[in-house]
Amino acid sequence: MTPTDTPTSDTSPIDPAAAVRRPTGTAFTRALGVASLVGIVWLVLFGLFLSPNDASQKAGVRILYIHVPSAWLAYLAFIVTGVSSAAYLFKRTRSLTWDRIAGASAEVGVLFMGVALITGSLWGRISWGIFWTWDSRLTTTAFLFVTYIGYLAVRGLGGSHQQRARRSAIIALLAVLEVPLVHFSVKWWRPLHQQESVAEGKLSGLMLFSLFVGIVSFTLLYVWLVLHRQRVLAMEDSLDDQGLDQALAERRAEGAQV
Amino acid sequence: MDLSPREVVPTAQAKPRKRPWAAIAVLAVVLIGGSVLVVKFLTNAVDYYCNVDEVGVKDGCDVGRNIRIQGVVQKDTYAKGDSGGANFVIAYNGVSMPVSVGSEPSGIFQECIPVVVRGKVAGSGDDLVFEGDEVIVKHDNEYDAENQDRLAQSNAEASECSQKG
Amino acid sequence: MIAVMSTSDQLPYVVASYVVTLGAIGAYAWRMLARARKIAAKVPPKDRPWT
Repeated sequence: MTPTDTPTSDTSPIDPAAAVRRPTGTAFTRALGVASLVGIVWLVLFGLFLSPNDASQKAGVRILYIHVPSAWLAYLAFIVTGVSSAAYLFKRTRSLTWDRIAGASAEVGVLFMGVALITGSLWGRISWGIFWTWDSRLTTTAFLFVTYIGYLAVRGLGGSHQQRARRSAIIALLAVLEVPLVHFSVKWWRPLHQQESVAEGKLSGLMLFSLFVGIVSFTLLYVWLVLHRQRVLAMEDSLDDQGLDQALAERRAEGAQV
Repeated sequence: MDLSPREVVPTAQAKPRKRPWAAIAVLAVVLIGGSVLVVKFLTNAVDYYCNVDEVGVKDGCDVGRNIRIQGVVQKDTYAKGDSGGANFVIAYNGVSMPVSVGSEPSGIFQECIPVVVRGKVAGSGDDLVFEGDEVIVKHDNEYDAENQDRLAQSNAEASECSQKG
Repeated sequence: MIAVMSTSDQLPYVVASYVVTLGAIGAYAWRMLARARKIAAKVPPKDRPWT
């Protein structure tokens, strides 16, 4: 919007037709949403009913099908945040869209990481006998979670969109270095947390399939959430800009009267 | 030019610039939380992680020192203690150690399963006992569907666990 | 006798983990879409290029 545009009140809608039921949806996101929902139904079916109990962990193994995909998706989300932040900082690709993708992905990553911590805690109570211990994997994961909450807080510190984008991009590039630290913590220290199961072929049959369903459905869900969230962020930025344009126009009008 | 201070007239439309107190508060909590995590991790990492056969042999795995000890719970050694605790024997590489804990182990704790116990070794000579505060079952990364064949196999393995430990 | 956690003892934890997971993701998605609906009418179409 240019300063000569008519300022728009926050209370008067610009485009009443925009107040549609799905303001951030497209045909693609709707298809993605349906696919995610189907995936979640499959996950519940296979995870809770169709897959067998584990020989030693019994029903506790069913938490694996949501815990592992949540943790993996959180890693992916934080890596996407890092890559998008790098794209913003790189002059040739600089665009606030990258910043919004970074912010949206970090927010969804924090959600998945929180889920991974809670489900891991419940699973720990079943298999280890305790909800929490200061194990290397658990502690580094909690630290990663706290770091990205900090990243989101930094995004909310105010300033122009560009200031927000630059400041948070630098933090994202530092924070993403924690991801390999968490991943390899089970190799570098003597942990309580078990080593990788999938890569080492320790999971098979319906158990492996249930985990696969969890990973696919959570990945679809992640893409759906990030697409919508970054569009909401774009609309919020637009509203902020309107507020700024309006203030400038009022100030000019005021200046013209003097 | 009129340089007198302007009177600020709040308009209905113009939103006052909010101070990001919420973000600052979250950042403060994050800094405190992050510091607590680091301190907790470092203070717990101070406790050496020793296998049963390393007690009194490896540096850091000394008698009387707080450590985490790993071993396999031996068959027919589990007994409930007097005040809600439990006693059992763990072994690793052919070396065994009696363990006494103040509370009953939970989770999938059973005989022939690897456990990590936090506490310290008490006693001297051949009369060493591990006085534990916390027992954690160490599950490996292998998963097998539960069925009768597997149960029979695991029962057979369980009967041999005393020799394995 | 060892008080091993039985399958029925484990079930509340398993169900709770699914409820927490789906509940948290559902609540986040619902809140996000509600926010989108609330502000969409105030945003000019040029700032909503996906529509």
